[in-house]
This record gives sequence, structure tokens and C-alpha cells, in this order.
Amino acid sequence: MAGQLSLETPKTKRTKKTLGGLLVIRDSRVGMVGLTLVTFWVLVAIFAPLIAPYSPLAQDSSAINQGPSAQYPLGTDTMGRDVLSRLVHGSRTILLLAPLSVICAVIVGAFLGLVGGYFGGIVDEVVMRLLDAIMAFPTILLYLIIISAIGPSALNVVIAITFVGAPGVARLVRSLTLDIRTRDYIRAAETRGEHPFFIMFREILPNARGPIIIDSMLRVGYAIFSIGTLGFLGLGLPPPTPDWGGMISEARKYIWTNPLGVLWPALAISSLVVGLNLFADGLREESTRYQ
Amino acid sequence: MDDHRPSTPILDVRELAISYKTRRGQVPAVRDVTFDILRGEAHGIVGESGCGKSTVAFGIVSFLGRNGRIVGGRILFQGQELVGRSEEELRRIRGDRIAMVYQDPMQALNPSMRLGDQMTEVLTTHRGLKLEAARERCLEMLDRVYMPDPANVMQRYPHQISGGQQQRVVIAIALLNDPALLIMDEPTTALDVTVEAAVLDLIAELQRTFDTAIMYISHNLGVVARVSSKVGVMYAGEMVERAVVERIFIRPFHPYTQGLIRCVPRLGMDKRSSHLYPIRGRVPSPSNLPPGCIFEPRCDYARADCSQKKPPLREIEPGHWVRCFHAEEIAQTEWQVPADLAEQLARPAGYDPNAEPILRITGARTYYRVPSKKLLTRKKLYVKAVDDVSLEVRKGQALGIVGESGCGKSTLVKTIIGMEKPTGGQFDFMGMDVSVPVSKRDLALIRELQMVFQNPDSTLNPSFTVANQIARPLIRFKTVPRDQVESQVLRLLQMMKLDERYLDRLPRQLSGGEKQRVGIARAIAGQPELVLCDEPVSALDVSVQAAVLNLLMEIQAELGSTMIFIAHDLSVVRFFCDHIAVMYLGQIAEVGPAEAIYAPPYHPYTEALLSAVPIPDPRAEQKHIRLSGTVPSALNPPTGCRFNTRCPRKIGTICETEVPPWREEGHGHRIFCHLPLDVLCKMDAVVTVNQ
Amino acid sequence: MLVRDIMTRHPMMAEPSMSTVDAQRFMGENAIRHLPVVGSGKRLLGLVTRQSLLVDPGRLGSLNLWEIASYLSSLKLRDVMIKGEHVITVSQDVPIEEAARIMVEKRVGGLPVLDDGIVIGIVTETDLLAHLMEMMAARSSGVRVTIRQPNVRGELAKLVAAIASQGWGIAALGGAVAPKDPQRWDAVVKIRNVPRDQIVAVLSQIEGHEIIDVREN
Repeated sequence: MAGQLSLETPKTKRTKKTLGGLLVIRDSRVGMVGLTLVTFWVLVAIFAPLIAPYSPLAQDSSAINQGPSAQYPLGTDTMGRDVLSRLVHGSRTILLLAPLSVICAVIVGAFLGLVGGYFGGIVDEVVMRLLDAIMAFPTILLYLIIISAIGPSALNVVIAITFVGAPGVARLVRSLTLDIRTRDYIRAAETRGEHPFFIMFREILPNARGPIIIDSMLRVGYAIFSIGTLGFLGLGLPPPTPDWGGMISEARKYIWTNPLGVLWPALAISSLVVGLNLFADGLREESTRYQ
Repeated sequence: MDDHRPSTPILDVRELAISYKTRRGQVPAVRDVTFDILRGEAHGIVGESGCGKSTVAFGIVSFLGRNGRIVGGRILFQGQELVGRSEEELRRIRGDRIAMVYQDPMQALNPSMRLGDQMTEVLTTHRGLKLEAARERCLEMLDRVYMPDPANVMQRYPHQISGGQQQRVVIAIALLNDPALLIMDEPTTALDVTVEAAVLDLIAELQRTFDTAIMYISHNLGVVARVSSKVGVMYAGEMVERAVVERIFIRPFHPYTQGLIRCVPRLGMDKRSSHLYPIRGRVPSPSNLPPGCIFEPRCDYARADCSQKKPPLREIEPGHWVRCFHAEEIAQTEWQVPADLAEQLARPAGYDPNAEPILRITGARTYYRVPSKKLLTRKKLYVKAVDDVSLEVRKGQALGIVGESGCGKSTLVKTIIGMEKPTGGQFDFMGMDVSVPVSKRDLALIRELQMVFQNPDSTLNPSFTVANQIARPLIRFKTVPRDQVESQVLRLLQMMKLDERYLDRLPRQLSGGEKQRVGIARAIAGQPELVLCDEPVSALDVSVQAAVLNLLMEIQAELGSTMIFIAHDLSVVRFFCDHIAVMYLGQIAEVGPAEAIYAPPYHPYTEALLSAVPIPDPRAEQKHIRLSGTVPSALNPPTGCRFNTRCPRKIGTICETEVPPWREEGHGHRIFCHLPLDVLCKMDAVVTVNQ
Repeated sequence: MLVRDIMTRHPMMAEPSMSTVDAQRFMGENAIRHLPVVGSGKRLLGLVTRQSLLVDPGRLGSLNLWEIASYLSSLKLRDVMIKGEHVITVSQDVPIEEAARIMVEKRVGGLPVLDDGIVIGIVTETDLLAHLMEMMAARSSGVRVTIRQPNVRGELAKLVAAIASQGWGIAALGGAVAPKDPQRWDAVVKIRNVPRDQIVAVLSQIEGHEIIDVREN
């Protein structure tokens, strides 16, 4: 009996619990639509080599800037590459970079938010003013400054998005911390003489989990937009990597001869972003209901 | 001389049933509730949390929300049926004839509107009165509810007046329309005991002058005993007993009512001479009710038929209704402590009054700096939350600290435990200095001082299992070797009367009482010398409160822990504590052995407090002392004796100019008052019970 | 003694849209004879009495059976009530005898009590009678004596002084001009806890006073 007792909750159990929390999405129609869209793109990204009819880099000089045909279902681009294949492979980059950059932003932001919210006073003041200063810049301007300073690359895109996204996360986590730190269980931890970092990461953070997860979903959506925007401005991934934003940028020049060339990548970005937003909305709605 | 008036009840509720639709289907929150309220009558509805008493009230005014619905029964208001009517018809029939007062006055007040505008609006829009006439009426009504300086109050915003005054304004607004029925849902629960007493006086007076029928909902048996002429007892969504107030308290028939009365301490009861008997088990959830009598699983008298058939609410004696098959029999048998309960009854610790003090506080001061409102003045303003307090706590003692909100009792405890930094004074705990904040304390000192918190819903971290919560202090303080932590957790849990099934549960799967037990287990896990309890039972239902108090007593007896026990409920403190300190505005007004505090001589403030305590016994007679005014600001406390602005026994300017001396009565009983001891000794006892 | 002290507060009220059939049952069930009809904010719109609900035979004469049924069921209180300005009302601050005078003169059995047009109570004959009963201490036991005395200033004082000199208490005291004899005044006193003979002995000593009735309950 005593042997069955485990003090550390096994990892499997914890994940199950979180997933169990996510299951409430079944009750939300909006959330299910979002989940379907997102799942669709995740599957596309996973099975990209199987779905794509051609290599994303293969050029066909006989078919440049063509509309949809039996050979190229979504047409070809200026260099004669298959749009469908590029789109399918592009989903891999974006679904890797966007969540990765959000995870980084959440890690940095949560740390700053916890520190500011828990310690309060002068620490809070300094951290928050600095973050305010970052948030005062228009995001596009920030991206431009950062990328032009460190150069365009996949890693730098992640760094830029982390830098721009972290203040928002920090504000959210700070406000959650301010609320949670008044609870009696934090008092109890303090009267046990626990280390402030123990209190921040073990006592406070797990209870801020829900809102942070929902916020992250939305942020992944923004990140996809941002990556698209950077690609469009030529600051994203260096060519010839398939990149949705870059595809729009290229196709734009020929919008009068091949208007569908812009449509496909735009549709891809918006469907994924809308899907994520709907999913986050559904999750928030269902998890706050009946409370 | 009212017997010629129409005898139709103002409110006649018959077999009312209300259900809520939830994710898991229909939940029958209220079933088969029948009662009536005559004109000018105050009818109490008493019951523990979740018994459906508020749901009944919301059903009457049809505020059930989107998922609540009346599924059966009738509600006749002044002879007219309310159930099954359209919203529009209901609004017209109820119209201005039913008013409701909630626990939180801010729920009824608009924070962004001046009180005067809110009040006159009722009259100008509903009744089409001219603004001037409306103002005059509002002033008159504020005067009737004994609001000091009504004209000034009308100019203010809700947050600028105290909670008690807000509740008065809400009552005044409710009465502006001269309602036939006033529903009050825990209207005094958030108020301090002296304010509560004044509001209850007010309700009784208004009921007489306006002939208003009152439905008074409360969990507090003492309050209900004071205001109502009839009482209905609700349990798990059903009314189990209903009778005039004297019968409910003196000769209850239903085993649940009897149980409730046995588990509340009455003023004057103490742990050495009497016991609190908690009711076994817990309230069934409305989605999983027992098939027969709803109280059967917890009843000491349950028979075979109780679990099969549902007993009806029947009139056992004229005007006395009870929902029990065996009420007559039960009334005749003397209640015996059941064997399993007898085991649980704690024997109080044998505390030695001559033991060494383990905590000695001299001249403690804790001030909070508040920012000055004026931008340019450099003057520093301080809230003197604790100001010159000296106390001693002896080993094994339970020291109670009582006082109204803002008296500094919580700050004192926070200072002792190191969450607030004292401004001055000596704090000596077993030879160690405890005036440093907890972050700078030695682990050895930290483990000797632990705390039990008030709110069961926030005392446990929602993300951790029960096992984790209790294990943490064991690991941190290295109370037991690492490999014995698990068995120690189990042992502690058993001490809390919880079994191993609880180990893996999360706090949201526990009831309030269970959470509090886990919180206590966590506090005592490190075997601290001194446990500080900040209102540990005030958020609990009375039957659970009794069990938790018994548990604390048992811990004291077994571990010999010393406890500081803060509470606002004077009956609970009297029951639990050996020694009591009464605080007022940051200072101790009176301190001494528990029995000495509750008998003359009194400090005038203690006397007023005692006369305000609601006693769950309609035979009890209390002196009627009501304090005037409100507690002065701790920013700028009165000079001399701090109580002088409100003291009914003030003797003159000496009270305003000179700090009073300590009057020593012996046995450690000291009173901080200018009145000489022989005058204090001549006071009458505040509470007398006529048998 | 003012109307506010004897009126019935929070009287039952009805909406103008209530059907006469429902009203009839409502008044019967609750044993009331006067039903104020109110609008929003309890503002008085009219008054319904038992008479208002009686159907006017002249109106039905021209109708057939079906028409009668539908006519009756469609009849609302607003159609049959005594309308607003025709209702005789009283304010809560008038003396009860004033209310009684109004009821006698206007030949009505009940008056809605208004405060700025809002119904705050109702005072009926029953309320006045109940109060008369209290004034005469009808429900407490004692000796009730009626004394006929000259209708001259100071005579009542003599009676009271005589009672007071014995140290007796007066449970009730009332009086009126003697029927058919404006020169005389009939005073009624009720004295408790004193033997009947003793009272008669003392009161018959007063000069010019005549005991015309003695009874005990």
C-alpha cells in the first residue's frame, strides 16, 4: 500500500492529464473546425515527401508561370517549379519554425513575467519598463531592424520572433503571477522558507499553465503570419527553401498573368492561422465554461 | 390585533423543485420544498452550503440563470401563481413587491454612481416622483436605517463607505419600494459581529414598522435564532424540518437538526466540559442522491425502511413539520454518542498554566507605509496595524486572538511567522529572535513555526496531489529520512482521518473540510513547536467545523503543540482556547484565561463584542450594547484609549488624553482600561440563559 | 390614531389585464372584498369590489349563449373596475375617524391608502371595527359601566377622578352624546380586576351621574 505511493507524479500521467484537459475541445464546434484545419496541415507536413508530386526545387523550364493543369495541379512558378510541391514542403518549414519560436518566446517571457510578478517592486519595474520599450516599437519595424542586423536565416527568424513575442508572454504571465501569488498555498510555501525560484516554477507556473497554453496557440498563429511577412519582405528563409511568404512575394510580380499563384500560398497561410485561432478560442471557451 | 386581516400568506411555496442543466445532465438542486411566510413574519431558512437555500430564493425571483429551471411545484405570491408565467408577467406581478438583499452589498450597488443618484433613481423611474421629492424620501429612508449623516452619504460613491454602511444603503434601497416580501440571502455574513448585530436589530425593527415579510437565509444558526420567528431547516435540497424558532432549537425532531445543534459551540461552552459532535459522512451530491431518506446514510437512527422509502414532510405537532418516519420515537430517546464517534472525540490536552512561555512578545509594532495622497508633501503616513502589543504564549497552550476586521490580529500573526517585518519590539521564541523575515531565518527556526490558513480553496496548490502537498515539508525539513517519507505521509493522513485513497487526489477532488485537513497535515508535518491558525474553521460548514476543531484538539493532545488561534467567532474561540487576547485597533484591550474573558470584569469593548454574538438559543438573553460609529482609521488612531471614540462606558477626558493603565485581576487576566477594577467587577454578565 | 396605524399594509393587488373570472376566484379564495388594480410601481389605476364583478344583465340580454361565454371570458378588470379618479382613497396621515367619515358619507366599505398615487395599504370597515373593539378592550375581561352625565365641561373629569381616587385602572374609555338627548353624554368605562359591586358603589356616588348599564365579561 505504502509502496504504491509515488511522490513524483509519473510523466505519463501528467501528459495524460493535460491531454484530458484538451479533450474538452470536443464540445466546441468552432474548436473542432480549428482542430481539423490544424491537423490537416500537420499531416501534410509529416507526409510531405509522399504527397508532393515533385521535388520542391525541381525546375521545368518548359512550363514557367503556368496556371493549373493536369500535370501541375496548382500550376508552376516563375522558375517552373511545381506550386503544389512547394506548398506542401513549405508547410514543414513553417510548422517547425513557428512553434519553435513560440516555445522560445514563452520560455523567455514566462521567466521574466514570473520574476517581475513575484518579486514586484523595483525588479518588476525595471523588467516591465524594458519590455514596454520593446512593445512600443511597431512589430514590423522590429523585425526589420533585427533581421537586417543579424541577417536572414532560419535561426535568426526564430530569434526575431522570440524577441518580439516575449514581452507579450511576460505581461500575461506577470498578471497571472500577481493573482496566484496572493493565494494561501504560496503563503504556505513562504512560511516553509522555500526558495523564490521553487515558488515561482513549482508553485506558481503549473497553475498558470492553462492560459499560457491557450495564449501560445494564438501566438503560433501570429508567428506563422510573421514568418510569412518576413518571407514576403525577403527577410525570411534564404531561397530556394520553399517558404509561403516568399512564394507570395515572387508570385506577386506576375499577379496579372497568373493570379492564382498568389492565391495558393495565401490560402495556406490563412487557413492555418484561422485554424489555430479557432482552436484556441474553442479551448478557452470550453475550459472556462461551468467554472 | 391582526387576526382580522386576510390570512393568505405573502409567500406560499409548495413542493417546489428546481433543476440545473449541466454537462452531466439534470441536477435536481431543490426538491419538494414547502413553506409559507405570513405578513410581517420573518422566516429563517438555515442549512449548510450547497443545501439549496439560495436556489430557492433565486427560484422565487426567477434569477435561476440560463441553465436553471423550476421543474415542479408552485410559488404563490400574495395569492398569485408565479410558476409557469412569462418573464413579462412575472416582472409585473413581482414588480415592486419583492426585494432582495445579497451577502455582498457591492453586487447591488453601482460602483460608478453616487449613492444618492442610485437611490433616487428607484423612485424617479419606477414611481415617477420628482427629483426633489425623491431625494427627501431617500434621506428619510437612510435615517430610518440609522445611517449617520445621510445627506453626506448620498454624495458619496459606494466604495467610500464601510461594508456595514453599504449593506444599510442596500436595505434602504430595498425598502424604498415598500416591498411585501424581502428576501435576504446571508446579508450579514461578510460583516463584523458588532456591525452584524446592529444590522439584525435594524431588520427586526423594519419588519415591525413596515409589516414586511422577510425570508432570511443564513448558514448561521445563531443569526437565524435572533431574527426569525419560524425556521425551516434545509438539507441536500429538501426541507427536513420547519417550526417556530423555539421548537427548532429546544426540541428539534429531525436527526439532522439535532446534529446541527450538537455540533455548534455555544457561547460559554469549553473543550474541557463539553464536546462538539460532528455529523458523520458528508452531504450527498445532488446528482447522486440516496434512494430513500436523504439523511439516511448519515443518520444514527436509520432503520431498514429509511433507505427504501422517501419520508414525506409531515405535521408531527401543530405547526411543527418534519421529514422523518421515526420522529416521535427519536424525540423520546435520549441521544447516545455512537461508539465510532466517541472514539473520535478528542480529549483536550492537559495544559499546564505554569509552563514556560515559548513565545514572548514585548512592545510589538508593525506599521505599513502608505503613499501620501498629496504629491508634494514629504510626510510619511503609517498604518499602525499592530501597535505596542505584548503577549506570552506558554508551551501547550492554545491562545485565541479575537477582534473585528482591521484590529491587527492577522498582521500580528504574519509578523510572528515572518511574512511582515516588525517596526519595533522584541520577539523572543525559545531563545531565538523572530523579528527577522522568514527569508532570513534559519531552517531550524522556520520548521518550528507553521501556519494553517483560512480559505480551504486556496490553501492547497491545485496542481499537486495530496501526497505531494504533505510530503513537501517532510522533505524540506528532513523530518524523517527520505525513505520514510511515504509512510510518514500516510501516517499523517490517517491522523487527519483520511485514508490512503486520498493520496493521489488533487485538491479539486476534495471537499472543503478535507482540504482543510490536508492543510493542517501539511502544517504539522514538520512537527512545529507553534502552529498559527488563521481562522481555520470560519469558511467551513458547522458540521465540518466541529470535526476540524476536534481534530485540532486531538493534535494538540497528541503532539503537545502550542497554538495561536485567530477567529472572529467568539463561541469557537471560547470553546477551543485556554487563553484569549481581545484586540482593538492594533492593541490588546483585554487578555486572560478564556473563562475570565467571558465573565465580568470585562473590558467595555469585550462587553460590546459579547453582547453582539449571535447565540443559537432563543432562550439566551444578552445585554443590548451597540457600539456607535465605525472603527477609526489606523492611520491616525485616537489618542489616549483607542476605544474612547466608541466606548459606552467612557468616563471623561482622561480617556481621550491618557493611555489607560493595565488593570490586573490575577491569573494573568489584564484589562486595558481607565475604569478601576472594582467598577469593572460590578458589571453584569452579558449572556444569561433561562432554562 | 391615524390610518397608517390600522391599515393593512401590502394588500393584495391585481393587474388591469386580469380576467374577471380569475379575479372572482382570487377574491373568493383569499376572502377579500376590495382589490386595488395597479400599474407599474404600484400606481393605483382602479378598484374592484364584489359589485364590480357582478354582470350587468342588461348587457347580456342581446347576446346568445356562446356570445355570453366569450363575452365573460374576455372581460378584464380594466373593463369593470372603478376607474382611477372615481376611486375614493385616503392618505395614511389622516385620523381614523376621518376615514370612517369618508366611508360613511360615500357609502363605501374600503379605501385604498395612497402615498403619491401609490398604493401602500388598504383600510376597510373591518379594520375600523377591529379598532373599535380594541378601543373598548372587548377582548379583555372587566366591568363595563355606562354612565349618563350632563353634557357639560368637567363632568368626565369627575368620573375619572372618582376612579383614580380608588387607585383603579381604566382599561378603556369612550363616550358619545346620548342618543336622542343632546343635553346628556354617555360615557363608557371598562375597569379591570375590581368587583362589580364596588365599582357601582363608587360611581353611583357621583353627583348628577347615572349608571345606565353595567355588565361584566
